[in-house]
Amino acid sequence: MAELFRSVINVMSAAAIPLFILVFLGWGLVKKVKVYEVFVEGAKDGFNTAVRIIPYLVAMLFAIGIFRASGAMDVVVALLSPVTNLIGMPAETLPLALLRPLSGSGSMGLMTELMKVHGPDSFIGVLASTMYGSSETTFYILAVYFGSVGIKNTRHALPAGLIADLFGMLGAVFIVRILFGV
Amino acid sequence: MLNYVWISLLLIGIFTAAGRDIADEVTNPYRNGVPLNARIEHSSRSASLHPTYDGVLLIPASDFAAFYGVAQGSDVRQPVTVTTLASGAMRLEAPVGDATPGFWKEMAKAAGGKERLEGSVTAFDPATGNVTVVMERVSFVKIRAVTKAAIEYADVAVTISLGLIGVMALWLGIMKVGEAAGLLEALTRLMTPVTKRLFPDVPPNHPAVGAMIMNIAANMLGLNNAATPLGLKAMEELNKLSPKAGTATNAMCTFLVINTGGLVLIPATAIAIRAGVGSADPGIIIGTSIFGAGCATAAGLVAVKLLQRLPRYKKELEPDPAPEGKEA
Repeated sequence: MAELFRSVINVMSAAAIPLFILVFLGWGLVKKVKVYEVFVEGAKDGFNTAVRIIPYLVAMLFAIGIFRASGAMDVVVALLSPVTNLIGMPAETLPLALLRPLSGSGSMGLMTELMKVHGPDSFIGVLASTMYGSSETTFYILAVYFGSVGIKNTRHALPAGLIADLFGMLGAVFIVRILFGV
Repeated sequence: MLNYVWISLLLIGIFTAAGRDIADEVTNPYRNGVPLNARIEHSSRSASLHPTYDGVLLIPASDFAAFYGVAQGSDVRQPVTVTTLASGAMRLEAPVGDATPGFWKEMAKAAGGKERLEGSVTAFDPATGNVTVVMERVSFVKIRAVTKAAIEYADVAVTISLGLIGVMALWLGIMKVGEAAGLLEALTRLMTPVTKRLFPDVPPNHPAVGAMIMNIAANMLGLNNAATPLGLKAMEELNKLSPKAGTATNAMCTFLVINTGGLVLIPATAIAIRAGVGSADPGIIIGTSIFGAGCATAAGLVAVKLLQRLPRYKKELEPDPAPEGKEA
């Protein structure tokens, strides 16, 4: 069952982009849209959007870079580990949970490291990869999405995004403990 | 809130770095200025006035561990060169390589990312090979690392942004054709029962809805290259509905939370890495990840809907009472 689900999704993922292109441009042709001209007209904005993001992403990433390089993470881990021990979350995975919303590549590196040290099929290995798959890089998405339209006041997006991350991590610990628990 | 989180990241980072460096100055973990006794095994014997010796620096593992207070598995056999300067003083140079102990690699990196470690030799007897050396000073490690990170990450941000140009152009082009052909509208109508609940402020047939649906679909399928451009297209459309420039609307926040929840049907990156490190069943995390991301998305949606009712967030969306005559 799981195998079937996986292969169906894999086929969908592989075929999705050619299909998108085919359907969108093909339908345009049917509707007598001047496809080439309209495509170019739309594509023109690609450059501006990308450039508009730069200041927002620089602000976000350099702050995250400084935080990570300083080793402040160790301090936060030491402060939080008594709490996470209570809910049965191994201390080794706490840095990953904290880094997940901040840095995509950083948390990917941590996940790989944890699986190398503890084994990918160990409790910690499964938990680490589940945690990685249970959330997205909130700060990055915030900077890119809001940056692209020049939004400086993000209102409640960050607190809501962080609550989502928190529950993603808690959900990962909960389900992995139930299914692969020690 | 972003203001405070952002400045906190910076302040915590810089103060932690400074604190750690000050602590290092007191405890001296790199043994700055402390002489280290060892033996150099060398074959070259120069009779010149300023002799140079190439050899291997030998330090028993226990001595190295005791000196630096770190764990050291095997005896150190570090290739070194001892040179005599014009002044008569002797210098030791150790190129960083496979034979270099991990702690020295760290020190070389901390000393400015050099490929070698240096030291001044206070006593050297070429006959026996006994040597006393003071390794170069290593200090302000974290502050240096912070400085480097700030510049590096600013660079990374530009690389990432510019890297988006191509895919952005591609997907914006396709979307424009879809829009002109009325396809986006058809898609939007199909999903109206869901979207009108999630985004009550967005007219159900607005182009933003179509872009958001496509973004969410691309995310679910793990098509990151397509998802970001489609998401940015959706943001652009949502921004047209905004009553106040530069401020996130409720719909934008909801849309963002759906994205940060990261619901993916197949967590492809994690599975690929699991397979790479030799998992017997890499795909075992599909179900658990969907559960985790489902929790994240559900909690995020509840949070975003509750938070948007708070007076302080409501107030921020109201147009400024007296708009200043800003130049465009």
